[in-house]
Amino acid sequence: MAKPKIAIFDFACCEGCQLQIVNLEEEILSLLGVADVVEWREAMSEKSDEYDIAIIEGSITRMEDEERIKRIRGCAKVLIALGACAATGGVNKLKNNFEDFEEVKKCVYGKAAGKPHLRTGVTKAVGEVVQVDYCVPGCPIDAKEFTYIVRSLLLGKTPEIPEYPVCVECKANGNPCLWQYDQVCLGPIIRAGCGARCPSSGFRCFGCRGYVDKPNVEAARDVINRYGLSVDDLKTKMVLFGSRQEPTIYE
Amino acid sequence: MTVKKLTKSDFASLVEDLIRTENVIGVQAKGDRFDFAPLASAADLRLDYDVTLQPPKKYFLPPAEVLLTFEVGGPYQSQLDGQKFILLGVHPYDMIAINQMDELFRQDNCDTHYLTRRNHATIVACDVVRPSGHVFASSMGTAVVKQGYDVLLTDVGDSYVVEAATPKGEQLLARAQNAVPAEPQALKRREDVWARNKKALNHYELKCDPAYLPKVLAKSYKHPVWEEKAKTCFSCGSCNQVCPTCYCFNVQDDVNWDLTTGQRIREWDGCLLDGFTKVAPAHEFRKARADRFRHRLYRKATYVPQKIGGQIACVGCGRCVGACLPDIANPVSIYNRLIDDLGIG
Repeated sequence: MAKPKIAIFDFACCEGCQLQIVNLEEEILSLLGVADVVEWREAMSEKSDEYDIAIIEGSITRMEDEERIKRIRGCAKVLIALGACAATGGVNKLKNNFEDFEEVKKCVYGKAAGKPHLRTGVTKAVGEVVQVDYCVPGCPIDAKEFTYIVRSLLLGKTPEIPEYPVCVECKANGNPCLWQYDQVCLGPIIRAGCGARCPSSGFRCFGCRGYVDKPNVEAARDVINRYGLSVDDLKTKMVLFGSRQEPTIYE
Repeated sequence: MTVKKLTKSDFASLVEDLIRTENVIGVQAKGDRFDFAPLASAADLRLDYDVTLQPPKKYFLPPAEVLLTFEVGGPYQSQLDGQKFILLGVHPYDMIAINQMDELFRQDNCDTHYLTRRNHATIVACDVVRPSGHVFASSMGTAVVKQGYDVLLTDVGDSYVVEAATPKGEQLLARAQNAVPAEPQALKRREDVWARNKKALNHYELKCDPAYLPKVLAKSYKHPVWEEKAKTCFSCGSCNQVCPTCYCFNVQDDVNWDLTTGQRIREWDGCLLDGFTKVAPAHEFRKARADRFRHRLYRKATYVPQKIGGQIACVGCGRCVGACLPDIANPVSIYNRLIDDLGIG
């Protein structure tokens, strides 16, 4: 059997998730033993339109990017959204909270705001433009989870991504609940799989892996009342990775 | 069975001596809480703890473990963890939970992975000095323990009454220099500690003898409390994760990069979690939050007791109460509500 061909593409992102793949170091050689990487801008100069698995990093923010991702989708048998920006829109969706994008651009880029490459529209997760087969959540991705997903796909197996929240892994690590230490931790509504890395280091969960399939809004309301917080107090914690998670409206 | 007395400083010397030659795990401070962890010094041991964040279960059934390694189409090798260790400071309710797990894992297909670890453990139990803010072991009849441990320690002021209950325990106690036979006065003080704890570990009070709980639940399957409580349940499984008697697990295979060799991994699961009852082909038979919420309480007081001679599989440690963010997990408040509504008690 010929080795499956993998191509890695980036859109609006910091490329940190690709960096996690580069950082696999000796494991990359193992990956290359079972698959051919035919395009990967961050690590090689070759290009190709023939690939079985497309790995997409970053969110879609420009019309030309929509065209490009559709082309990629047309070539790939399997498409994987890599990291928060691709999987949910991530930090890039903060922009969608504002109405006047020109103002946002001036605030972020100052005098350079008028440059043509900064002409962007609303931020979309990859899945809002083309069909996504699998997501690797997180900011950045968990390298172990990424390699597990790739190996599963190479075997023709569906990878198991947790449906349950971060609390599961946090408690298994023997942590006390950070809410008891005055932190508004998003663990109860955010998808596990990171090994509860942040709460295990004493930092609240920022929600980079996106919401669980069925977050309990009633429960969240009950808890913020119990802790004397307002809905806005909770929202300010959710805005970083959880902005506008509903499908983006096309203009 | 040998019952001796050991001053606290002699006990500390014993612990230091054990640390020199054995793999010792003991209760230590973790921030302003407590947990079991590998012990580096007798000074770190905190037998005055209230409750540990995690029960000692993880030393027999780890959160994740490799059950076997395999080669696709080839042979497999079971992976057994046969490292000896000493577990220092197990409270009676946790000891009773371990006794229940021992019984459960010996049944049917006996679980060699669990039992290998269990057989390599020497357990030093200790009576509770300081009750935790959520404990209800007195209500569950688990405030004192009479079996399962190798050694039982009871703090009687300036010294410990130390009982060796097994050959392993005798061996351990033989290393205690200056241990003297416990005199009647010390034994009386130990009886007093037991009598006190049988009443004092009761932050929440169950309104019936726990033996009646299966009967209470038999009439409560359609009670509104399940729906009411589950309304604010995150399905986060925190109650499962900190429970000394929850032992449900999931088994997954992971392959290596050669795509032919790999390992079968067992991980903790939890009946509150979304997807817990998902089976092939993506069918889920306990989908509703309320059904999963109810299942935990039935499991503790009906399903598991049927397998272990009627013992209630909730030992009253209260960890679930402290771990539940929306504060809906307390088994006593639920059972009492049912008892009230049924007009018994």
